[in-house]
Amino acid sequence: MMFLRKLRGLWPLVFLVAAGGAQAAEEYSFDSSAFEKKPFEFGGYVELKQEDFALNRSGAFYRLNNVGQPQRDSLDRTTGTLQLTGKLRQGIGTFDCSTNSTLQRDQLSHDHDHSIYEAAYSIRPTPGFTAEAGKRSLKWGKGYAWNPIGFVERLKDPNDPQLAREGFWIANSDVIFNPGGNLQTVAFTPVLVPVSSDVNSDFGASGHLNPAAKLYLLYRDIDIDFAWLGKGSRPARFGMDFSTNLTSNFEIHGEWARIRQITRQVTDGTGRVTTSVGNATSYLLGLRYLTASDTTYIAEYYRNGTGYSEQEAQQFYQLVNTAFTQLQQTGSAVLLRKALALSRGSYGRPNPGRDYLYFRAQQKDMLGIVYFQAAITAMMNWQDRSYQVTPELSYTGVTNLELRLKFLFLHGGSSTDFGEKQNSRKFEIYARYYF
Amino acid sequence: MFNLKEHIVKKLLWLVLCLVALPAAALDGTEILKKVDRNLEPESYEAYRQLIDIQPDGSKKESVLYTMKKGRDKVVALFLAPPSDKGRVTLRDGDNMWLYMPDVGRAIRITSLQSVTGSVFNNSDIMRIDYGAEYNVEATEEQKDAIVLSLKAKTGEIAYDKLKMWVDKQLLLPVTIECYAASGLLIKTLRFSNIKDFGGGIKRPATLTTDSPLQKGYKSIMQWSGLKKATFPDEYFTLNYLPRIAELRK
Repeated sequence: MMFLRKLRGLWPLVFLVAAGGAQAAEEYSFDSSAFEKKPFEFGGYVELKQEDFALNRSGAFYRLNNVGQPQRDSLDRTTGTLQLTGKLRQGIGTFDCSTNSTLQRDQLSHDHDHSIYEAAYSIRPTPGFTAEAGKRSLKWGKGYAWNPIGFVERLKDPNDPQLAREGFWIANSDVIFNPGGNLQTVAFTPVLVPVSSDVNSDFGASGHLNPAAKLYLLYRDIDIDFAWLGKGSRPARFGMDFSTNLTSNFEIHGEWARIRQITRQVTDGTGRVTTSVGNATSYLLGLRYLTASDTTYIAEYYRNGTGYSEQEAQQFYQLVNTAFTQLQQTGSAVLLRKALALSRGSYGRPNPGRDYLYFRAQQKDMLGIVYFQAAITAMMNWQDRSYQVTPELSYTGVTNLELRLKFLFLHGGSSTDFGEKQNSRKFEIYARYYF
Repeated sequence: MFNLKEHIVKKLLWLVLCLVALPAAALDGTEILKKVDRNLEPESYEAYRQLIDIQPDGSKKESVLYTMKKGRDKVVALFLAPPSDKGRVTLRDGDNMWLYMPDVGRAIRITSLQSVTGSVFNNSDIMRIDYGAEYNVEATEEQKDAIVLSLKAKTGEIAYDKLKMWVDKQLLLPVTIECYAASGLLIKTLRFSNIKDFGGGIKRPATLTTDSPLQKGYKSIMQWSGLKKATFPDEYFTLNYLPRIAELRK
């Protein structure tokens, strides 16, 4: 009994020795068999996000979106997101899918949404050929915040460019070959996008099978893409992009797109809308620079060919003011309905202006803490000089857990892009757990 | 007075010294580096690697990668774990490097000095191509158990300007590599250990450990498994293939 009691007293030592042994074994043993390809894979993440908005009560978009509602200075929103991904393999074919479900709650509403982001079956009969059909999110272009040649994708949010986006139902293939010499790679991607009242209805006018294609070349260390979308649900467009490293830590990129015969609606301050049809050219020039101390700088200039000039935007904001004055003075909502309809169209895009500057600086391992990153992002409407600044902190040091804290400060006078947005400030924090 | 005996002894001594020095002088650094490259891995291979990043407080973060290499300068690495990084792919074609992230959905250019994992290992360590493809041998020195190669980067695009490589004389495998910046600053030290027979005539260190005076207290370990000779079509090492790399594993 005495012996057993003595042994019991030694248990921490036994534990330590066992733990030490386990660690030693762990340090020099890695068996890859657990990671071999499986016929079925499943994963995803769950995210909890809290957003606090300071509402811009004098802003045109706040006033339009809150007509007849109790007026508020702030709004707190909680969002739970579950994103699931799965993959099923058999022979030369693979089916993969991802879904996104959100549950959102703030002082004004409760909302939930379930979307299939991607669900596509692909076959690869030879190394150089892949055919695919289903819902897929194709992302074309080299720009970080904007992609003028993103012809068959949903609009990117420049405030969170790395966020996954819902795709469209498409059929596409990839033909790849390596000619050798200076032209190292050639890849051709033809795409078909059907649009009907049930399929891809938000792509554009229904009743079209829209053809599109991208040709990629790796020529003398320069990535070059040529992209094209045929006339159909959207006006025809074509464009190109490039990206290359001038030095190992200095990359430049650019995009150029020409949209043919696009219809453009411009209002004046009285609500008279002029519709014009013409060609529009958008382009983007950008750079990415990494310093020896691991600071990455990204800068981009974006010319939005379909955007509104400062004067055109001012006319719209004047219309909103006139509409509210008319409502107050006469009780008539005719102009207000017109302004509301325009705000839900191209005037209400995230970036409706014509010239934007984007700048981001991010510091890896901030304060010497590995996986701790600080970043600051600024976006400016170059014509009216309004801007937003977004400082953020993120930490990914705990396996599979991502924590991010972000502030958004919008600044601009009356009748300016960022001065008329619905929010003047935003605080965001989220925790995302991957499994 | 001319001492004939002393003269003969001196001449003999000189001859012996020359004979002893001959093997060192005959060492061809470039040939040794070629052998080191091939002893480390076949020119084209596939392998699984585990990266363990250890922080000063002892906490660890582990990643697992599936790697394919073709020829002297094409490497692709797919992250299989942890789930937060799963599906990420890095591609290297000579001096060009890209990172594909599934959520972003397209490849962006990255640089060799960055680290996609937050590890002491940077992208050039993780997507290493043949040393002989990136470095010229500047000097060769023979020590008791090792041959020390002083290597100089062929271009300014290479992550480390200079390497000092201690090579095991018998096995012709690297033991320690010191990596220096152009300024002469020691960036990191790589230590190879745990020699393992992978089959197919591949016998090489299964473990690589690194630390850096620039990241005091941090340590990273890379472990190999399932390393074998393989052949791949060139198409696999292109941007369009990055979303589908996971399907190429047997």
